[in-house]
Amino acid sequence: MYNVDIRDPLITGNKTIHQVTEEIYEPSQKRPKLWWYVAFVISLCALGFGNWALYITISKGIGTWGLNNSIPWGWSIINFVWWIGIGHAGTAFSIFLLILRQNWRTSINRAAEAMTVAAVMCASLFPLFHLGRLGFFFYMMAYPNTRGPLWVNFNSPLFWDYVAIITYLISSTLFWYLGMVPDLATFRDKAKSKIKKALYGFFCFGWVGSSREWLRLESLHWVMGGLIAALVVSVHSIVAMDFATSILPGWHTTIFPPYFVVGAIFSGFAMVLTLMILIRKIYKLKDYITDSHLNAICKILVFVSLIMATAYATELFIAWYSDNEYEIFTFFHNRVTGEYNNEFWIMLINNAMIPQLFWLEKIRKNLTIVFIISILINVGMWFERYVIVITSLSKDMLPSNWAEYSPSMIEIGLFIGTIGFFVICILLFFRYIPMIAIHEVKGVLKLTKI
Amino acid sequence: MNKSIIGIYDNENLLISVLNEMDKENISIEEVYSPYPIHEVFKILKRKTKLPYATFTYALIGLAISYSFLYWASVKSYPLIYGGKPLHSIPSFIIICFVSMISISMLLSVLTFLARTKLYPGKRPMIHDLKITDDAFVMIIPKKPEMSENDLIKINSLLKASGAIKIIEK
Repeated sequence: MYNVDIRDPLITGNKTIHQVTEEIYEPSQKRPKLWWYVAFVISLCALGFGNWALYITISKGIGTWGLNNSIPWGWSIINFVWWIGIGHAGTAFSIFLLILRQNWRTSINRAAEAMTVAAVMCASLFPLFHLGRLGFFFYMMAYPNTRGPLWVNFNSPLFWDYVAIITYLISSTLFWYLGMVPDLATFRDKAKSKIKKALYGFFCFGWVGSSREWLRLESLHWVMGGLIAALVVSVHSIVAMDFATSILPGWHTTIFPPYFVVGAIFSGFAMVLTLMILIRKIYKLKDYITDSHLNAICKILVFVSLIMATAYATELFIAWYSDNEYEIFTFFHNRVTGEYNNEFWIMLINNAMIPQLFWLEKIRKNLTIVFIISILINVGMWFERYVIVITSLSKDMLPSNWAEYSPSMIEIGLFIGTIGFFVICILLFFRYIPMIAIHEVKGVLKLTKI
Repeated sequence: MNKSIIGIYDNENLLISVLNEMDKENISIEEVYSPYPIHEVFKILKRKTKLPYATFTYALIGLAISYSFLYWASVKSYPLIYGGKPLHSIPSFIIICFVSMISISMLLSVLTFLARTKLYPGKRPMIHDLKITDDAFVMIIPKKPEMSENDLIKINSLLKASGAIKIIEK
């Protein structure tokens, strides 16, 4: 049983089942505080900036970006991989811990899944932006058409990626939504206004909590968990193959798929940590998101950080050991030293060194420092993608191809726009949706009572 | 005539103990409603689901459909050679087959779940007690024509003695 002495209780405060309902339902009833409106307006401005950048991209073309012949992938692919990485850990968090029967996931999984859905939506925008002419998006789809027997290239990792991401977006949204149906029914039964009752009633699919419904929902969750767990690993492996199947120094490495999957889990867990600290602080949910929960995430992060450090070291070692002059040049003269060394060192310090502070219990207990480190990890992970994409493309085998890259205001605008979109999604989630899985918390409540 | 007896509890343990007693007395229970899933209830009511088997079947169907489609599109419909790879290139089919298998099996499983539980957007449910989604545990015992007056008294007294906070006949 979970409630042995060596483990802290999952939920503190000796709650009753009714209290759990009330305390999680309450924030959605109160008018948002000033900070919520301020954050919403700032995010709307960011989204507006992004829309302006998108308008320029569509009306004038990709030429408005800072790309050139040598660097045809710039911020858009960096941001795509960054968002998809963040998007991975939410569902991964919820699903891996579900499969491993870790009951402490119950307080965190809902927010993590919501974050996943928002982040994957942001990620899927970038390939669209990169097309420049959005009207041609349908060329990517496989369908019989009037152009004769013409199909997309099924042998291309880029197409695999497209299929994988669409599947991941659909499956993580379904997993998140179906898990929320019983809680929406709780909101329906608690709602006082007719409009809220009707809306929650519509979206909870007429859930009544019968044993048949629970049995099938649980079974569906397990089945989906098994399928999505495989998908989580495969999707980011496929994203890695976008790079690894090319022959560019720095990209053409077999370590890429596991390295990308671990990187995704790393950045996503860091984002979950950021979000959980905010939810706990703002909505005073200390009894649900306990010190023990945050401590556990910190411990996972320090472990994953060590894997990341091993991956960085392996890349450098193999470049040196292979004695391949192009690999040595890329890693030692273009990353460790050279004009992109700042980005490389930010990556290394933020991802491999700073998280080591989590070995210290004092640091893990100081939530301000934990919050700062969680942000720094995400900054570091963004720079990791920058280092991979830009350094390899800027200086390939032919010096006549060498070029420099700096993003234009349009690319920066698109990135800021997606951050605005992400924050808006999260704010709406805080406001209208049960941010903690009520029925799951109730289910583990008896395990916390001795 | 009333069709069923409804017992409402505010404690999971009381519900499980009375369910066990009813099981021993061979009293059939139509349904149990609770704010969260309770595995003991599934066991006592002998509830089982074949959803995982259905998902496995859907996955096999999905795999067969994806592979057949890729073979047909790449070899029959549009036989174009990319980078010297054979038209029937199994390694490059693996990823799409795998991912499509997952998406087809998942979508069909969700549809099966919704169909079997008869859930759909906007459905108006029959709610026995608004507190089921909060902290109430509700048990429905059907009144059968073969039940004698004594049986009904026995059920009522069992419910009362087990600590039901409310007993309703509907």
